[in-house]
Amino acid sequence: MTSGLTRKSVLAGLAVAGLACAGLVLASGSAFAQSAAKIGAPAPAFQAVDADGKLRSLSEFAGKTVILEWTNHDCPYVKKHYSSATMQTLQKDMAKEGIVWLSVISSPVGEQGHVEGPEAKALSAKRDAAPAAILLDPNSKVARAYGATTTPHMYIVDPKGTLAYMGAIDDKPSASAASLNGAKSYVRQAVAELKAGKPVSEAATRAYGCAVKYAPVS
Amino acid sequence: MTGDFGHQIDALNGVTTQPMASTARHRCLAGALLALGLALPGLALAAESAAVTSPRVSATLLSSRDAVSPGERFHVALVQKIAPGWHTYWRNPGDSGEATKIDWALPAGMSAGEIQWPAPKALPVEPLVNFGFEGTVLLPVEISVPADAKPGQTITLKASATWLVCEKICIPEEGAFTLDLPVAAAPVRDDAAQSRIDATRAALPKPAGFTASLKADGEALALSLPGVSASAADLRFFPYSDTLIDHAAPQPATASGQGASLTLARSSAFKLQQTAQIGVLTFREGGTPRALLVTAEAEPALLAQSATPAAPPAATLRMPIPVEGAALTLWAALSFAFLGGLILNLMPCVLPVLFIKALGFAQLAQASRTEVREQGLLFLAGVVVTFMALAGLVIGFAAIGSSVGWGFQLQSPPLVIALAVVMTLIGFNLLGAFEVGTSVAGVGSDLASRGGRVGAFMTGALAVVVATPCTAPFMGAAVGYAVTQPPALGLSVFLSLALGFALPVVALSFAPGLLRLLPKPGRWMLVLKQAFAFPMFATAIWLIWVASVQAGPGGVLAALVAVLAAGFVVWLIGVSRGAGRIRLATSALAVLVALGAGWFVLQSAVPEANTQAKVGDTQAWSPERVVALQAEGKPVFVNFTAAWCITCLANERVALSRQEVKDAFAANKVVYLKADWTNRNSQIAQALAEQGRAGVPLYLFYPAVKGGQAEILPQLLTADMLVAAARAAGRDARTAASRP
Repeated sequence: MTSGLTRKSVLAGLAVAGLACAGLVLASGSAFAQSAAKIGAPAPAFQAVDADGKLRSLSEFAGKTVILEWTNHDCPYVKKHYSSATMQTLQKDMAKEGIVWLSVISSPVGEQGHVEGPEAKALSAKRDAAPAAILLDPNSKVARAYGATTTPHMYIVDPKGTLAYMGAIDDKPSASAASLNGAKSYVRQAVAELKAGKPVSEAATRAYGCAVKYAPVS
Repeated sequence: MTGDFGHQIDALNGVTTQPMASTARHRCLAGALLALGLALPGLALAAESAAVTSPRVSATLLSSRDAVSPGERFHVALVQKIAPGWHTYWRNPGDSGEATKIDWALPAGMSAGEIQWPAPKALPVEPLVNFGFEGTVLLPVEISVPADAKPGQTITLKASATWLVCEKICIPEEGAFTLDLPVAAAPVRDDAAQSRIDATRAALPKPAGFTASLKADGEALALSLPGVSASAADLRFFPYSDTLIDHAAPQPATASGQGASLTLARSSAFKLQQTAQIGVLTFREGGTPRALLVTAEAEPALLAQSATPAAPPAATLRMPIPVEGAALTLWAALSFAFLGGLILNLMPCVLPVLFIKALGFAQLAQASRTEVREQGLLFLAGVVVTFMALAGLVIGFAAIGSSVGWGFQLQSPPLVIALAVVMTLIGFNLLGAFEVGTSVAGVGSDLASRGGRVGAFMTGALAVVVATPCTAPFMGAAVGYAVTQPPALGLSVFLSLALGFALPVVALSFAPGLLRLLPKPGRWMLVLKQAFAFPMFATAIWLIWVASVQAGPGGVLAALVAVLAAGFVVWLIGVSRGAGRIRLATSALAVLVALGAGWFVLQSAVPEANTQAKVGDTQAWSPERVVALQAEGKPVFVNFTAAWCITCLANERVALSRQEVKDAFAANKVVYLKADWTNRNSQIAQALAEQGRAGVPLYLFYPAVKGGQAEILPQLLTADMLVAAARAAGRDARTAASRP
């Protein structure tokens, strides 16, 4: 191997030049438009108060994988995942992997899904949910930063703080409980691929569910 | 408020099927009429089902017929009367929501079509936008009555529908609908129902009558609508796919002489699956609302981009590449093959061949355009035939389980040497060391430089042969896909590759306008031609090095003798030009020298059977070695490579040989094994096949756990990627070791 290295380097150089040309041709237009949340880019930073009244931020979880779950306990699509315990199982499985699960409630006061801290904790207890924290976002600031559209809407941030997944929780856009049978969990898939050091094969999907109830821009 | 809504939803979440009082009355009335004998024999009681009602939606199934006739087609419609402030959804619901669905239970022989969707409205729920309907909406469906239905019979249409109705909050609702329709010799229309359904159908989006085009416009998309007049107002495009555009983004329109054009922001989950009918366009023309079904052609680059999974972040060579051959769809494989083919044109060993062909066109173009075109097509034929032949061999051998993979032709030292000779001759020809125009020597350089019809065909073949070592990253996955598919699919992937490869030259031969863009023939052509000799020599040097790895010093000797003999033969033919008897003698001598050199090459360039070539400072791979190392608690990295694989060499240069990678491997006790496929090796071929690959490079990372499955790393490595993988493996190993 060492003996061939010098000649190899010449040829490798040529090859790299060729590949670089090809890369230039193809790199244009691969980025996504619009929202601040982009796959492969740093996930938007945020600060929000959790159900215990503590100020939390994305940066405190640096070095860990973080899952954001937009939720609204009265939305039928959210109910589908909670009454079947699918969401709680997912939360617990992710916790076992050392992943930080943050449920985000962006409904403003007076809109469906809005809760204060104690009620949020009561809901978790009642449903046996296991998020690491519940973030209260009554001004919808975190939702705007991520461009969350539905409940549920899932985001995965890798340990480097890069957004690795955004979109639906699974591939069955329906409110019916029967749709859970045979549904493919995009979240599990993405987490497994991240763990394996592979790129996420379906990194951006179309989220489904109820609209996130946004607070008017103040 | 929250609590209240919660209870309300709980109460209404289930099925709400209460026939409306008014319908009940209608039934009674109809029954009474029937009893009075005023109704026609066999006439239905109602052309509208019982209603399913909630405080938000009252839904019925409406029929345009009171009685149906055998073999006819007619329409029914699901009618949704929606309370003010609420809406139901179109086929693509927009940012949230869910489309209405109908499941039919029909008697045997009867069939129902798809919902014929009226044009939707954009319904903003700041900052989101949904697509749907307010007020009253009819969703028509065509029903076919079996030809053997008997007059006097009654057929029962049963439909169960689900819909989501939202204001700000959303309620999923469902309803079951039943329509009893008598069969009569002649259909009996329900005029009121028919006219409502007709009015809805008359307003359905109409085929546009033009083909739109969808192109990338930076990060946005440009949808050009050549048939829409510049005076059209309020243009809005509603995509069928929910992953095409950002639904809430404004759609600025520009007018041009060619019609209108919309700028659309891409969806954050952008994916372009089909290019035929992509959605509905609504606009106003002279105050009249119009709706068109938009059929569009998308530029191929857009299709390829959308097939691309997100690339891992931060890399010096960052390219969107498919990582697993097995996960590719046919369309993605075809697109990648096509792109891969195009990129092959840029490879240092191929570019000169093609450029000289193009120069040939430039000279010929002044004489005859038809001939240029003919040559372009012959070149295409040469490319396609050669690719198909190689593909046929690879797929054929794969089918019978033999260990042959992509690039196999470079596993034979005599073939590698033959290629080195061809490269050398092309190089000397480019330098002008010998003229070939008047000679009949059948060397590749002659064929590539000018030649006739055979020449054009052979240029195509030659270009393919010299391109095969440069397996571009795109091709790796596509070729891996090709050999794991049924032969017809596999061949179509190779065909796509061939078409992409031939495209630039064929395009040039058909567009003489492009040739005119070249500066006038002159000295620059000569200089460029000579300059192109050097990449050819470089390629020859590399091939001889490959031969040395394959067959040792004997291989180098054979290669150099072959080059010498070839040079001598060409020179002989050159000097004896035009001289009758001498020519005969020299030709005989040339044939003898060529045969002798060929024999010598076959004798000396013999690969060591079934052994891997020298691997230097790394350990040689074997499946047993991996298992043993894993059992010892060591993570293992395996590099499947070959001396003739340029991508492999590039990876070794830019990633594997970097100091930080070596340090990370050492720190985490990663054992680096090398599987060298420079020569044929059935064990390696089988390991590649197990990972869904037909060729190298392939990089595997095995965890330090007995029997642990390997992770496949991308075909283009970066140092960061390897360091991260090594650290992860090291961490896992330590965790495993600390367990009791």
